[in-house]
Amino acid sequence: MKTIAYCDPFVPAEWIAAHEMRPSRIMPSTAPASGAVIGMCPYARSFVSEIASRDDVDAVVLATTCDQMRRASETLAKSSGVEVFLLNVPATWQTTTAYRIYGDELRRLGRLLVRLGGTAPSLDDLARTMAEHEAARSTILAAQGRLSARQFSQALADFQYGDKVDLDSFEPCARPRGVPVALVGGPLLRSHFALFDWIECAGGHVALNATTSGERTLPALFDRRELGDDPFATLVNAYFGSIPDIFRRPNSELYRWLKQKIVERDIRGVIFRYYTWCDLWHAEAPRLKEWLGLPLLVLVAGDEEGLDRRDASRIQSFLEMLK
Amino acid sequence: MTEPPRQITLDEWDARHEALRAGGLQEPFYGGPLRRHVADGDFRLLRLRFDDSAAALRLWNFLLTEEDRLHAARAAGKKIVGAMKDLGTVPVMAYSLPNLVAFYPDGAWWIPCVMELSAPVFRAADSLGVDESFCPVRAMLGAFVTGGHFPFPDLLTCSVGATCDDFSAVAQRLNGLGYPILWWEIPARRRPDADEDAIELPGGFRAPAAQVAYVKAELERVRESLDTLAGERLDETALAAGIRTANCVRRLLAELRSLVFTAALCPLPALEMLIAEMLAIHFCSDREETIAVLRDLLHEVKGRIERGQGVLNGDAVRVFWVNPVADLRAMNLLEECGGRIGGTDYLFCHALDEIPENLPPMEALARTALADPMVGPASDRAGRICREIRRFGAEALVVSRIPGASHCATEGDVIREMAQSQTEIPTVEIEVPPVCDSLQATLRTRLEALIETARERRNR
Repeated sequence: MKTIAYCDPFVPAEWIAAHEMRPSRIMPSTAPASGAVIGMCPYARSFVSEIASRDDVDAVVLATTCDQMRRASETLAKSSGVEVFLLNVPATWQTTTAYRIYGDELRRLGRLLVRLGGTAPSLDDLARTMAEHEAARSTILAAQGRLSARQFSQALADFQYGDKVDLDSFEPCARPRGVPVALVGGPLLRSHFALFDWIECAGGHVALNATTSGERTLPALFDRRELGDDPFATLVNAYFGSIPDIFRRPNSELYRWLKQKIVERDIRGVIFRYYTWCDLWHAEAPRLKEWLGLPLLVLVAGDEEGLDRRDASRIQSFLEMLK
Repeated sequence: MTEPPRQITLDEWDARHEALRAGGLQEPFYGGPLRRHVADGDFRLLRLRFDDSAAALRLWNFLLTEEDRLHAARAAGKKIVGAMKDLGTVPVMAYSLPNLVAFYPDGAWWIPCVMELSAPVFRAADSLGVDESFCPVRAMLGAFVTGGHFPFPDLLTCSVGATCDDFSAVAQRLNGLGYPILWWEIPARRRPDADEDAIELPGGFRAPAAQVAYVKAELERVRESLDTLAGERLDETALAAGIRTANCVRRLLAELRSLVFTAALCPLPALEMLIAEMLAIHFCSDREETIAVLRDLLHEVKGRIERGQGVLNGDAVRVFWVNPVADLRAMNLLEECGGRIGGTDYLFCHALDEIPENLPPMEALARTALADPMVGPASDRAGRICREIRRFGAEALVVSRIPGASHCATEGDVIREMAQSQTEIPTVEIEVPPVCDSLQATLRTRLEALIETARERRNR
């Protein structure tokens, strides 16, 4: 089975799987040690580097959800031998045109998958694949209470990567007692999972992973009645119509979602993290602080391979303040 | 015997203005000596060198009085449209209605340069968390919140989608502060698949017909808002007339560019050409006067070419310049280093291409908007640049990075590599901040090296 790699949450794994291909959401392990480019987002660089170094990827799907990744698609097409598909995800979302563009783009992706050897799914096949994926996602989501924040995020990343996730293999963890905080921002690298440990060591716990790699970007639950009638439209609505993200214009739904979750989870502080040169997240830091009305710690992820050790003491100070 | 044209300082312009007036120069309502703009805070003028023609004087005065025109338009009861991240589409629509005036708020990115950082626009942007890691267009955010640089528009539009993250982030920040914005989608232009209907766009790019249809639908939303604002329908006849007038501007610029870039002696300096090209974006808030200003410039250029006159040495190297500079002084610097402008892509070459007049107007505008070199792959843009390099006979290429701009991280390499492989001309990438004085020595060295290399190639 061919592997289709992607990193953007607006790429529906179900759509790829329904074409009898293996969807694999890549979370780069670490930033490359060399080759930093002035102005280029370290995450985009990490993703390009990760794909270029692999030989198990048959095609890669990038999305237009940020300019850096849009342009990275060209870099990747040039530097690697894999087929690169740029999925046009509209920034606007309040119009029928925006939904039409997204739906048409998924159909175009489907045509590519067929060209690569996949099979165009029947509506029943699509509905069945969607239901299976949703069931698997729900299992992981249901385990959220008995996994640590790190375990949960890793399980989610492993599932999206395409690995079989054995939830029972995780060591049981005690009910978190630290200060509940939200981790908000762009995508994580695997080497960033240590952040969860740092936060716990400092007396907190991530009660809401609202990074692009976390639960924020999971699709909405499929409407069961619509799923039977029109699975494709259901898919479009669950992804394009539901995922709140920073690039959307306006990005008001992201704020609504955060506000709701922060109340639900009794969040007392926000750790906000963005990559150097990521304008979309960077510009929102002051507004987040005003809008959420909570203490906000801003961390900037640069070109370093792992985490910046100085952030550990900043997290510690932040949590001491919250206690 | 006509005095040969030359570049002069602002001090020299005082005497030159008096002499022109004494010689019978009739100026338009916004005319006058350039020095008065320094009193308004435009201190950068003191460090620039200007073309000494009456046509250039008119051009500068036209540019530097835009704010007055906008206020006058409002006082006259016209509605003002701020067309953000829109290089020549919504303004064409807005000017098709008699009681609308459109301007380009992004143009505020030149405020820090022109006012030599004396205006607090960057400070205001900093205070809102939009610091120097962003493109200088963040000055627009500061200009909105501090006021005083343009009247607040009655309608703000902004194209989003395949735009730079800097602008998208700045516009969203503005929206988050409570400024309503009509967002319209410009999808990332892609090359059509083999089994798709394809459409040739102005400028030579191709796009899937479906993408043109999306943009058309989005522009229809903009049209509805303009209708509401104006209180009258922007019908096909009015829009077609608006397109014809916009094309008049574009044809004048096309002729001007072709003459200036290819003349044996450079008939008009780089700085004045940059400003002339900018007029295409939104007509500097007065469409008819834009035409008059460009006609004057064209007349001056033609006269100079006929007389065999130029403003630079005959051996000046023709340089193709990519991206607008945040500091206007850089254009003077190129000429001081022995270069001249021999082709440009200031990010808005689609605003210089004629809008098709043989199509339904909205279809024509959609195609033009999608022809924006910045919404497609960098290799498309590079391909167009290579074609223009060959067309104008440019001998060197400068890619001028815009500090912090998301597109500049990687596109420079794409453009330079293609130019080197397809045209074999020497290239350089530089970065020009809003006030480049502290970097002038470095920039000069790099530009001189480029010019020397290009001259060396002439002797091969």
